[in-house]
Amino acid sequence: MEQKRIICLLVGLTMCAGARVSQCAAFTDDMGREVLLSQVPRRIVSLAPSVTEILYFLGLGDRVVGLTKFSSYPPEAAEKPKVGSYVNLNVEKIISLAPDLVIGTADGNRPAVVDFLEQAGVPVFILNPRDIRQVIDSLVVVGEVCGVRERAVARAEELLRRVDVIVAKTAGLDKPLVFLQVNSKPIMSANSNTFLNDLIRMAGGLNMVRDEPVTYPRISLEEVIRKEPDVILISSMERSGDFEEARRQWLKWTLIPAVKNDRVHLVDSDLIDRPSPRIVQGLEIVARYLHPDAGWKD
Amino acid sequence: MDALLKRPLSPTRVLLSSLGMGVVLLLVFGASMLLGTADITLGQVLALVAGDGDVPEHVKLILLEVRLPRIALAALVGYALALGGVVFQAVLRNPLADPFILGVSSGAAFGAILGIALGFGFEFAVPTLSFAGALLTIFLLLALGARGIGTESSTILLTGVIINAFFTATIMFFVAVAADAKLHSMLFWLYGDLSQTNYGRLSMIAPVTLLASLVLYGFSRHLNLLTVGEDTARRLGMDVVRVKLVLLVIVSLMIGSVIAFSGLIGFVGLVVPHLARMAFGSDHRLLIPLAAMGGAIFLVAADTLARTLVAPSELPVGVISAFLGAPFFIYLLRTKGSQWNRS
Repeated sequence: MEQKRIICLLVGLTMCAGARVSQCAAFTDDMGREVLLSQVPRRIVSLAPSVTEILYFLGLGDRVVGLTKFSSYPPEAAEKPKVGSYVNLNVEKIISLAPDLVIGTADGNRPAVVDFLEQAGVPVFILNPRDIRQVIDSLVVVGEVCGVRERAVARAEELLRRVDVIVAKTAGLDKPLVFLQVNSKPIMSANSNTFLNDLIRMAGGLNMVRDEPVTYPRISLEEVIRKEPDVILISSMERSGDFEEARRQWLKWTLIPAVKNDRVHLVDSDLIDRPSPRIVQGLEIVARYLHPDAGWKD
Repeated sequence: MDALLKRPLSPTRVLLSSLGMGVVLLLVFGASMLLGTADITLGQVLALVAGDGDVPEHVKLILLEVRLPRIALAALVGYALALGGVVFQAVLRNPLADPFILGVSSGAAFGAILGIALGFGFEFAVPTLSFAGALLTIFLLLALGARGIGTESSTILLTGVIINAFFTATIMFFVAVAADAKLHSMLFWLYGDLSQTNYGRLSMIAPVTLLASLVLYGFSRHLNLLTVGEDTARRLGMDVVRVKLVLLVIVSLMIGSVIAFSGLIGFVGLVVPHLARMAFGSDHRLLIPLAAMGGAIFLVAADTLARTLVAPSELPVGVISAFLGAPFFIYLLRTKGSQWNRS
């Protein structure tokens, strides 16, 4: 192990010797892996939709040379070459794009792919944010790695301010019981190990299934009727189709307070379950649904 | 073997056995109504049955709109699958046959998965596509595999297996390219899912299933003859080819319409017919009603466990039925033998 480290360091130093010394750097990613970069990365491959969003948010869109299939935001990202979906990556395609940095996530990207790329000499940086504040921290980390630290810090602070406004506004209010539905048939929800739970908590609500042992438990209709949630949020991939149907299905159960009080809402799932900057926008939307009378300015 | 043809079977015995099985079904049904994540007492259920007014509104809702339709669906699906299994095992003369063996299930699954992939709703579009897939499979079977049916069953069996393989590949393709968000719905459809049922769905499959079971019961003597041997049946004047084709089509239509709403629930259609044969012998006049009700009992019990074991979350019913059913079946197989070749 120690020996490997020294070799890494030597390799790093040799690589650095060739490049301009000031821009050579070693970074530690979220998995504790050492990532050596000989220069500021100019050709970046993103291995997850959230990473793509982070890169574009930091104004690094023109450095992205490849991304994954469901990287739908921002719209201009759609024109970039695809390297497979984030669970099913095409290594050959990634290498053929000659990236000087690949950024992936611990959820979804298979470790075997990461190892393979590393052995092929491609530096891979893995992000693993576990809650909303860590998502914002990951912006700064990506900014550092890509040599735009100042811009990243400024934009992260702006997001943190927006988060603080929400938290301050909802902190003293009664917490409505929230049932968040992530799949319509079967009915599924998300426990406290998820971003979704963090989002509900910060928006001043109480996740109905927070204590379930399964991360994405299947929940019976009966359980929802019994627990009487105040708000039902349906996380929808598409604005139409079966999620609109899921909303209509709930409207039959008028004994549920959420239904009785017309508080069943669809929320764009890209805004609430992707560890990307837009999660702050998701937080603002959810907070308004949970506390409609909190005196929002807009 | 000849004993099967000559053995008298009094209608009283059929009636009494069916009544006995019906009582067991009612008991299991009632127990299932009582069990669930919400605490509902026997008194409340009885009060509701008696029509008393003082049952809380949410209890009424859970019993009548959530549990009752779901349990009724489980009963109907189990009934149809076991019935289909009995008939297929006799017609194809194969102890491994179940209602899915000719590929009707994979056609239905293909339709459903296609519907889910395209983002269609579960209320009408997905079941309709699923049923269309089942019809397509039946058509393919008849067009490609029906020729050799009079002489031997292996042609139609092989045709079914190949259709099954083809549709399975297509399903795997859709699963492989599906977005994450749709994977759960697809997988749960393939495991079988009885949740979120309503009376509209029941009113579509109940008449089909009951009608099919009456017609199939009318064929129970033909099934007995086929079990003894096709030559014997032919000698006794039975139009073997026609009877087999009619039976295959009726069962496939029934199974296609049922699984369009339930998804693929395995094991019941294979094992319950064998269990019933072990318990009641292989006279189809007795076997058809008893195996069908046995299937209903089995699936209601399995779905009750699926709802309650890890409450308040749920397990797929197919997991329970095979996980508990397989060891039970092995036990019976070792103690009683398969009863397959005994008349």
